[in-house]
Amino acid sequence: MKTSFIAFWRRNLALANLGIVTNLEYRFNFIIDAFIQPILTVGIEVLLWLAIFKTAPEGKIGGFSREAYLAYAVWAPFLGRITISWMYESMMAEEVASGTINTILSRPVSFFEYYLSQMLGYKLITTIFSLMVPVVASIYFDLPIQLSRLPLALLLIMYYLILVHMMSFLVSTLGFYITRVRSFTILKNLTLLLLSGELVPIDLMPKFLAKLFLLLPFSSGVYVPLAYISGRREIDLMISGYTTITWSIFILGGLCILCWQRGVRQYTGTGA
Amino acid sequence: MGVVIQTENLGRVYKTYSKKEGLLNSLKGFYNREYIEKMALKDATLNIESGKIVGLVGSNGAGKTTLLKILSGLIFPSSGTATVLGYKPWERKNEFLKQISILLGQKNQLWWDITPRDSYSLLTKIYDLDTNVAKKRVDDLAHLLNCTHVLDTQLRRLSLGERMKMEIIGSLLHAPKVLFLDEPTIGLDIVAQSTIRDFLEVYVKEFQPAIILTSHYMDDIAQLADQLLLISKGQIVYDGTVDHFMQKSDLKKKLIYRLRNSTEEQEKIFNSQELPLVLAEMAQAGEVADIKVEEVDFEDVIHSFLAKESSTR
Repeated sequence: MKTSFIAFWRRNLALANLGIVTNLEYRFNFIIDAFIQPILTVGIEVLLWLAIFKTAPEGKIGGFSREAYLAYAVWAPFLGRITISWMYESMMAEEVASGTINTILSRPVSFFEYYLSQMLGYKLITTIFSLMVPVVASIYFDLPIQLSRLPLALLLIMYYLILVHMMSFLVSTLGFYITRVRSFTILKNLTLLLLSGELVPIDLMPKFLAKLFLLLPFSSGVYVPLAYISGRREIDLMISGYTTITWSIFILGGLCILCWQRGVRQYTGTGA
Repeated sequence: MGVVIQTENLGRVYKTYSKKEGLLNSLKGFYNREYIEKMALKDATLNIESGKIVGLVGSNGAGKTTLLKILSGLIFPSSGTATVLGYKPWERKNEFLKQISILLGQKNQLWWDITPRDSYSLLTKIYDLDTNVAKKRVDDLAHLLNCTHVLDTQLRRLSLGERMKMEIIGSLLHAPKVLFLDEPTIGLDIVAQSTIRDFLEVYVKEFQPAIILTSHYMDDIAQLADQLLLISKGQIVYDGTVDHFMQKSDLKKKLIYRLRNSTEEQEKIFNSQELPLVLAEMAQAGEVADIKVEEVDFEDVIHSFLAKESSTR
């Protein structure tokens, strides 16, 4: 038991390392992904909200100040970028569609952990590098962000990534049945953009929708950690976030196992 | 030597969407799809012992790769049973996967963006091997394959032959008891093919794994295979040694001729009784400019046998 526990960690740390090493191999791609894109996104969002506030008569929208929205504009895309996994999802879906998954199936490692560890490794390194963009912007604009709350918020996001990966796993598993699943990836990402509160702060939504969105686990991707670090909400919302993610992992985990077991049964080993 | 692979009446049916030509049929297929079933493997029964190289030969689509995929656990069978090292392959238990390896000649299985040595280090952790033992094994195998100099070069920068050697080392790192090799020499030049063949011969003698080898190069099979499995239209049509197969065949000679108005050589394989018939056919074809008679080789007999099988079944 002890040996297999050590072997599990040894294997997964090596896979996380692979995720980091393969991405660092392409330096320019990494720099654009970790620095240039966050800077551009933050710039666009800040300009957008500054323009909106020029038309706000009392300098407030939905009861929140310009600085509060700027804080949201700076941090929401940053958190949203961490919690989206289109790159790994596309790779996973392609593995199933093209049959290159055979390499993983024939080795003592599961398809799920193979990509989860790589994604977590990659996300960790890009988060560390790109974190300085919203931190510097928050200090420069003197935004209402409590940086001491950041570790707990980032931890919630890393936990949420397991759920995100489960959704990616589920979408790619659909490839066993219908081969091409790109449209599902786009549909899922658009839905998450709305449900996580990245596109529109959940505070601005109609009350019943806001309540519903907070009951779902997806708000833990952007809104919940951001509301916590910006001081809009307190620790109780974070605890609720951890709880909803936990039960969602159980439900989605069951669905993943079911879809996988049925999928591999009818898999034809394409392209081998 | 014990039996490591056993199958009984193993079969696999593929269901495929039958799409007729044209836009109209594409639209029709949107709401009403016709599926056809194709029997890729039928009633395959075989036993394979450790320490043997088994040559699996058949035409394209004959069912070779389907058999390999079932035995390596990549796909489920539709009927029959199979055990490899005592496991049902498609259950893909870790204990089973740690004892087998599959090498697909047309696919990269090592990581494209990192060096082979980094790939082996990762495989060491995936297979839960002792780091020092694995390192020594890499060095030994690289020495045998004469490719130590490329271990620290990114895989994507290697030639096809070098890549294949790296893939072979990767597939043997955990010392598998059963090794599935699907076209390991495809696309390689004669020297690289010969190096890999010689290496496999030495490796099997030393480590005694069971190897199932598919190849379109009959030299691979003729040099390496202890046991020959011929497969045609999903069915195993011969299971025995290469020597016995050659002895059993009544095809002994090959007539090669060229007609005066042609630059292409024609070939006819025949047995002694058929000589008058073959000569008559040749005479009817036109004026002969060049002619020679040779002993048939393994490749000629296999081609002739498989052509006959596929026309009769």
